[in-house]
Amino acid sequence: MALLEVSGLVKEFDGKPVLNGVDLSLEEGQVKVIMGPSGCGKSTLLRCINRLVEPTSGRILFRGEDVTRPDTDVRALRQRIGFVFQHFALYRHLSALDNIKLGLRKLRRMSDAEATDRACHELRRMDMEEHRDKYPAQLSGGQKQRVAIARALAMDPAVLFFDEPTSALDPRMAREVVALINQLFMDNVTMLCVTHDVFLARYISDRILFLDHGQVRAEGDVEQLLDAHDDPQIRAFFGPGTRAR
Amino acid sequence: MSDWIGFFQDVVDYGPQILQGLGNTLLLWVVMTITGLLGSILVFYLTLSQHRLVCRLTDAYISFFIGTPLIVLLFLMYYGLPQWGLRLSPFTVAVIGFTFNVAAYNARYLRAAYNGLDQEELEAGRAQGFSSRQVFLLITLPQSLRLAVPGLTNQAILNLKDSSVAFLIQYTEFFAQVQELATRNFQYFKAYLMAGLVYLALVSVIVIVARQLERRLVRPIGG
Ligand SMILES: Nc1ncnc2c1ncn2[C@@H]1O[C@H](COP(=O)(O)OP(=O)(O)OP(=O)(O)O)[C@@H](O)[C@H]1O
Ligand SMILES: [Mg+2]
Repeated sequence: MALLEVSGLVKEFDGKPVLNGVDLSLEEGQVKVIMGPSGCGKSTLLRCINRLVEPTSGRILFRGEDVTRPDTDVRALRQRIGFVFQHFALYRHLSALDNIKLGLRKLRRMSDAEATDRACHELRRMDMEEHRDKYPAQLSGGQKQRVAIARALAMDPAVLFFDEPTSALDPRMAREVVALINQLFMDNVTMLCVTHDVFLARYISDRILFLDHGQVRAEGDVEQLLDAHDDPQIRAFFGPGTRAR
Repeated sequence: MSDWIGFFQDVVDYGPQILQGLGNTLLLWVVMTITGLLGSILVFYLTLSQHRLVCRLTDAYISFFIGTPLIVLLFLMYYGLPQWGLRLSPFTVAVIGFTFNVAAYNARYLRAAYNGLDQEELEAGRAQGFSSRQVFLLITLPQSLRLAVPGLTNQAILNLKDSSVAFLIQYTEFFAQVQELATRNFQYFKAYLMAGLVYLALVSVIVIVARQLERRLVRPIGG
């Protein structure tokens, strides 16, 4: 059974469709990358799946359970989806450690010691333990994103969603974060990743979806989509420069 | 010089009353600063409500109390309500009046701080699975309070100074006692000068504490 099965997803803002019948499925342990021009609805798609945005119509099955129904436990759904944002979205009044502990304490109801253990474990995994007591304002962009990933992982989610995790970073820091996401890929973490970063897409992905005008226009593996696609529009989007690493 | 010595002799003689007045001033200040802060947190929470009517009413509340002189409110309660058979003590009237007033101002500061928050952080809270009340208590409120520290401590200073108004509704606070002393020995200039210096000293203490708070709470979050 697929972890996530989206069919016919429609989202309209003020009568204008942003998502226009999106179909998507994600197997356990799979990684998919969503690419597409700016404003085509990539962020909206991720937000619909965890119900930060209410879908207009369509069906979303999460481990076989329809999560678009009105009686869905939205908070439980969200706790199973780790969300990593473009601008990190760390809670700025909390240290790196406390950013991770907050959900463990208040949602998982762990004891302080347990939560600290767990948080340190995730920070170590992201090679950030020495910075555990720093506030977000004292961390570089790449470090912030690593804490944000640790925060998402600590909740033991079924899947990680990334919304352009590298686009607020300079190239060197972006590479660092790509390497860490790749590490998760090796560890078989299920991921859905929106990105403009072709380097990231090549590195981590089994499959790439091309979203345009609110629909999945093409889906394929890296070679098919990035290197040799029939559709001239898709070739134009990825451009000639993308083949170089 | 000798009349200063005479004045201090009077102050010492009248010392117990002055100290009692000072105690009453500090009592009123502490109580209204705390109730005003707690009240403002409630008002702030209501301004963020999803219901339009609730937002309208809280906005109206804030505008009303910021737009009405406090003294009118105090007189209304202290001298006006007895005509309806409701007699409240000066302290009660002062606490109620100041609480509503201070809560309105503080809520403004918190609201302004809220507008400076990063909405993505609040969304991250919802995305993690926190309820909207948890997002408020764990993220919105602590961040807004920190960013509002300069405004809130400024209000705490105003509270101390404004507390002297309470003497007009028979609350025997510090200024009322100084007034009493001055009418006894006719040393108005010296008495009011002393009162001014005492307020200044108290305000200085608040300012020092406020600086500490800012350094510990506001700077780490880059506010
Ligand atoms: N809350 C909203 N209300 C109205 N319109 C919205 C809202 N959120 C998004 N939109 C619109 O929906 C469209 C898709 O937005 P979305 O953020 O999903 O695009 P995106 O593919 O993530 O773009 P980018 O690559 O720039 O991040 C945009 O035209 C945007 O203006
Ligand atoms: Mg986006």
